[in-house]
Amino acid sequence: MNDSQESFDQMLAALRERAKELNCLYAVEELLGNPKIGLEDVIDGILAAIPPGWQYPDHCEAKIIIDGTEYASPGFVETLWFQSADIVAQDQTIGRIRVYYTQQMPVADDGPFLKEETRLIKTIADRIGHYIHHTRMRQVYHEWEAAKKDRRGKDHGDWRTILDLLIHTDKNLYTRMSHKMLNQLCWSGIREAEELLERSDLYRKSDAEELMSDSNRPYQKRSYSFPMELGEETFRIAAEHLSDEDIMGRIQKWMQEDKLGFLVRAVERNLSLPEVADAIRRYHHISSKEDELSKPSRAGVRVSLIRRFLSDQLQYIRIAKEYLGIKDFYDLLQYIIFAAESHGRLGGKSAGLYLASQILKREALNNPDLGTVKTPKTWHVTSDMQLNFMHYNNLDEIVEQKYKEISQVRFEYPYIVHTCKNSRFPPELTQGLSVALDDMGERPLIVRSSSVLEDRVGAAFSGKYKSLFLANQGSKQDRLAALQDAIAEVYASMFGPDPIEYRSERGLLDFAEEMGIMIQEVVGTKIGKYFLPSFAGVAFSRNEFRWSPRIQREDGLIRMVPGLGTRAVDRLSDDYPIMFSPGQPGLRVNVSVDEILRYSPRWVDVINLETNDFETVDAAELFAQSGDHIPGASQIVSVLENEQVRRLSLADTEVNKNDLVVTFAGLMENKKFVKQMHAILQTLEEKMGNPVDIEFAHDGSDLYLLQCRPQSHADNSAPVPIPKDLPEERVIFTANRFVSNGLVPDISHIVYVDPERYSALPNRELLGEVGRVVSKLNKMLPKRQFILMGPGRWGSRGDIKLGVNVTYSDINNTAVLIEIARKQGNYTPDLSFGTHFFQDLVEARIRYLPLYPDERGNVFNERFLTHSANILGHLLPEHSGLEDTVRVIDVTQSAHGSVLRILMNADLDEAVGVLSRPSSERPIVLDSDGSAVPMASHTHWHWRLHMAERLARQIDPERFGVKGFYVFGSTKNGTAGPGSDIDLLVHFVGTQEQREQLEHWLRGWSLCLDELNYLRTGYRHDGLLDVHIVTDEDIRRKTSYAVKIGAVTDAARELPIGGRAESPPTS
Amino acid sequence: MSASSFNPFHMAQSQFDKIAHMLELDSAVREFLRNPVREYSFLIPVRMDDGSVQVFRGFRVQHNDSRGPSKGGIRFHPQETLDTVRALAMWMTWKCATVDIPLGGGKGGVICDPHNLSAREQEGVCRGWVRQLARNVGPYQDVPAPDVMTSAQHMLWMLDEYEKISGEKAPGFITGKPVGMGGSLGRTEATGFGVIFTVREALKELGIRPSDTTASVQGFGNVSQYAIRLLTQIGGTVICVSCWDQKDQTSYAFRKKTGLDLDELLGITDRFGGIDKGKAKDLGYEVLPGDEWISQEVDILIPAALEHQVTGDTVKKISPKVRIIAEGANGPTTPEADQILFDRNVFVIPDLLCNAGGVTCSYFEQVQSNMNYFWEKDEVLGKLDVKMTTAYLAVSDLAQRRKQNMRNAAYLIAVDRVARACRDRGWV
Repeated sequence: MNDSQESFDQMLAALRERAKELNCLYAVEELLGNPKIGLEDVIDGILAAIPPGWQYPDHCEAKIIIDGTEYASPGFVETLWFQSADIVAQDQTIGRIRVYYTQQMPVADDGPFLKEETRLIKTIADRIGHYIHHTRMRQVYHEWEAAKKDRRGKDHGDWRTILDLLIHTDKNLYTRMSHKMLNQLCWSGIREAEELLERSDLYRKSDAEELMSDSNRPYQKRSYSFPMELGEETFRIAAEHLSDEDIMGRIQKWMQEDKLGFLVRAVERNLSLPEVADAIRRYHHISSKEDELSKPSRAGVRVSLIRRFLSDQLQYIRIAKEYLGIKDFYDLLQYIIFAAESHGRLGGKSAGLYLASQILKREALNNPDLGTVKTPKTWHVTSDMQLNFMHYNNLDEIVEQKYKEISQVRFEYPYIVHTCKNSRFPPELTQGLSVALDDMGERPLIVRSSSVLEDRVGAAFSGKYKSLFLANQGSKQDRLAALQDAIAEVYASMFGPDPIEYRSERGLLDFAEEMGIMIQEVVGTKIGKYFLPSFAGVAFSRNEFRWSPRIQREDGLIRMVPGLGTRAVDRLSDDYPIMFSPGQPGLRVNVSVDEILRYSPRWVDVINLETNDFETVDAAELFAQSGDHIPGASQIVSVLENEQVRRLSLADTEVNKNDLVVTFAGLMENKKFVKQMHAILQTLEEKMGNPVDIEFAHDGSDLYLLQCRPQSHADNSAPVPIPKDLPEERVIFTANRFVSNGLVPDISHIVYVDPERYSALPNRELLGEVGRVVSKLNKMLPKRQFILMGPGRWGSRGDIKLGVNVTYSDINNTAVLIEIARKQGNYTPDLSFGTHFFQDLVEARIRYLPLYPDERGNVFNERFLTHSANILGHLLPEHSGLEDTVRVIDVTQSAHGSVLRILMNADLDEAVGVLSRPSSERPIVLDSDGSAVPMASHTHWHWRLHMAERLARQIDPERFGVKGFYVFGSTKNGTAGPGSDIDLLVHFVGTQEQREQLEHWLRGWSLCLDELNYLRTGYRHDGLLDVHIVTDEDIRRKTSYAVKIGAVTDAARELPIGGRAESPPTS
Repeated sequence: MSASSFNPFHMAQSQFDKIAHMLELDSAVREFLRNPVREYSFLIPVRMDDGSVQVFRGFRVQHNDSRGPSKGGIRFHPQETLDTVRALAMWMTWKCATVDIPLGGGKGGVICDPHNLSAREQEGVCRGWVRQLARNVGPYQDVPAPDVMTSAQHMLWMLDEYEKISGEKAPGFITGKPVGMGGSLGRTEATGFGVIFTVREALKELGIRPSDTTASVQGFGNVSQYAIRLLTQIGGTVICVSCWDQKDQTSYAFRKKTGLDLDELLGITDRFGGIDKGKAKDLGYEVLPGDEWISQEVDILIPAALEHQVTGDTVKKISPKVRIIAEGANGPTTPEADQILFDRNVFVIPDLLCNAGGVTCSYFEQVQSNMNYFWEKDEVLGKLDVKMTTAYLAVSDLAQRRKQNMRNAAYLIAVDRVARACRDRGWV
């Protein structure tokens, strides 16, 4: 009871204090607002008004100093207990205000003073500062008006009037101007000025000498205030040497610069985004032209703004400062959502897109081919809003997620997504999103991540985070909820296992990652219940997939599809985008009708506005039903008629769905688009200073740029340095034409079809058999760890002498497809460049490499290829007749444990295949129970082997009728990756019942290991074990997998089973 | 290259030698028929898109024109050789003679890869080819057609150039033109229907009623689809068809023992003849591994997809119930399997005859073009039936009389017809 009474009293006292403070402030305002009284009266009034505002008015007094003049309450005595605030006018401290207690008072927030009082005194000081500034300006104005009247009749000397005014109104500005003018005169070599400067004691020759002499003593600093008096002298000299116009011009410019100085200061000091934004807005309103700032300060402001909003990458800044003006930031600001204290940036994706769009806009003035390139309306959420979001929901500890074991990260990720989605949004963010939604209306949206790390490490990182489509239909409330849901999910994706693993592998975990958000309108048209762009895709300024030797890398590459571009961005196994090279649009990947049909896009990604969902629909059906409504449909689809493909015509009133083919033939023939894309890619590459890739969409009338970034080198496709000092005996081949980029690390087997032997085969049957051998090897050899090397044109059909007769399915497991062009007489045959299945190779990321062994400077280690042990006979005894022609080389065996590594560098147009140590052969530490296997890529096989060994030990030979247990394939060879299965061979001697039990037991293990592997790596199969059960009979007859037991090459390794042998060392 | 290496022309010659030996042709006739009567090898300069000029090598081989104008395709191939073109030209001579159409055999080509050429540059190649040969080809001399990597578009460019040079319209100069531009109706159906016309005659000869037969077909492309349609129309039951699955990169066989419904299957088939296996299951089809088509217990097998399908190995899987194998594809049976089938008394209708519906329809296109009067589809197909049936009867008659298999009989008839024409003309 007592307590509450007390606290009530306290509250009351506090409220009383607030009221007193307010009264004080009102009194001050009243005084300042009264135009009739002069400065001194105002100050006196304020001195009187202050004490009642403080906690102990009876013991309170104040003193104000302005321009050196002191004002104080009558009977003022200085004491130890005071607080103080500076009075600032035009950024200059012109005085201060102090409040004293005449005796010691109880301690409060700030000595005896309350924190509210500190604020109050500051406010009063500010108000006085403004007041004084205002009065001065009023004075200047009057004098200016007077001077103008006075000036009439005089021809020159305008500048003198201005200086006179300045002396009275803004002495600081006056001295700055004088100083600048004196410097200017000195730099022009005017002796008189130099003497003046010397006289002024500011600067002496000796200083200069001291500076020039290479002394390592610090240069003595001198006081550096420019004396007022020198001003007059300076301008006298100026008047002698410079014209009046010249002086006037300079003065005007300097004054203007001074006026805009706030912007320079705002961006240079680390103010928060809202403050910078205010400065930009203010600047925008007082100055519409940027050249009112001097060039260096303009550059300075631009750079600071770029750094604040977009990126601190030097290369980016270097380019961006040429293209982004202050005005552009004003425009950009309208679409940025940030918090009061925000210091965040927009992130890599936003920065890239914004710069690219500005470059294109500017360059279009010089290059008509660029035409109009639009960008969809985009709102940005600054990167630190993500932190705000997490603080707001007390989710800070999620940031530490990245330091957890990857399996735990994977395990917890769904919960994090769930938590984020159920979190509340900070009001500022909600409000910002609400404004954005009002601006965009019911247009479908895409929410993209735009992270700071993306900006730093480049494109390879993008794609790890989510981008989500929103139909954005319905009530505002629903749409806002959906938008927030999407943003939460994108935020959560930062803590997903993939990006964390990627960062961990590259030592980027400690980087303070933040994620900006782009909310972009989806480009397109409403077609019935669907929403989609007419077409969209990705484009690369460098073509890494050349299908003809006539195509240069610089000719670029475009992959596009009807509808949303998602299907062009991703590589799909069952569908193909249309590809063309804008620098060589006539050279198409697919030429014959059959090729055109086979490799045409069959599906379209769309947004379903009714279900608010992302959907995939049948392309032909869509165009048959709604083609009339899809803008530019006739540019996109063609008609198959009489086994010919021709363009859709207006006269085609009724077209059967089955006869429609997506070809983009119309678009190609209409050169405008091709030229435009080529110009865009060339311009961006040139101006950005590196190859770029872009995403684009087209709504039938306009082209939109959706994304622009340095050309990505995902999945081992970056240019690889080619070492120059490779020992000759380790090089298997080199190439110097039509090389793409990439690294193929661990090739364990080479299938070499000897060109000479092949062409010498006596009949078609044998030539065809080579194709079947390759097909069988393709199924037997470890996937993506062997390469196929063969003569001429892989996939030849009619004249199979020109190349091995295979289809794509016969080679689809190879890592690299190599065509060898051996000279025949004096001519070198043309290679196919994989044209028979070019698009299949591209989508499956199988690399293609042509070799020209007979060209000068190329290495072709025929000795290794023809003299290494050939294991074909062991693998496929039924084809041992072809041993001379088809050579299968177990690299590890023939090269003493080495593997073949292929380094490819398109920039140099060079590639080399070299024998190297396997990359998986690194020292690793294993816990005794194998539970804490360190997570790095090279441990995948080790973990598998360990599990296989455990499994073998656990197996009960009696119960299951097991006689032997073997491991083979990638687990045994140490080449298993995160997605590999474990190949096991079980020598079984039991009954049917035992066999069922065994299979059951293994199946359980398989599923269990699969789950473990999923947590470790994110790869999921339907079971991790690939078990092959063989019987005595199989082993005797060497059928199927039984050949692996005791095989000459790549033999299965036996593991001790049950308690039969003591457990072997695990590593 | 070693002399023993595979050479398609040498192979074609040795096949001919075998037949010539049986026919006891004299050496001059043999020498004359072993080699083409005329060969053209020439250069085609083409102005490229970038303004430079590239020179291409072109060929035309006219193997024999004793029975009428040479007929044969033009191939664009980067490693075309004269020997390949010779072999194919000879094959055309025998094929035309087998179905008894008044045409000889020819073939041509250009060494080039259309993947490296823009459409305009390809047009340049086509026109350049005709410019070099205009005096040696034509509706009454030598009639080209589409082949590997050439299409109706190429044919129209060539036709246009020919007509410009000759100064008159000459649609009969070339075949493979689109309908409405001098093409013939019935072209799509011709090969598949042709296969069944011969099957129908074979059944008649073996005394089997079509309505009592079942069949299994390899491939589900153009030829198979029309073969299945006609076979079903005449009462047969097709119970199994295999096709390539693009997504799984393997082939599957689809079986319905009560007989498959073509239109139902076409409804779930993409334009490459790939059947949707999920939907097929829903429709009650069994989905089997692709090579199961050959081991079905049926009366008729129709390999209509690839060459070398019936081999020494796979022939063992063929059910004893099978009576007829109709070669819808080119060269589906290897010589080893051929012998085994002959011994097992399986009736093989050889490709030379069985899939000649296509070339017969080309002949019809040429005839119609020459008179500039185009038939209705029924008329084309009716005439095709007559031609194929007649040809079948002649081959089968000879096979029975001379105790030969159908393949040898077809060759014998063809070579004999050509040899006779040459002699009658007093050439040899």
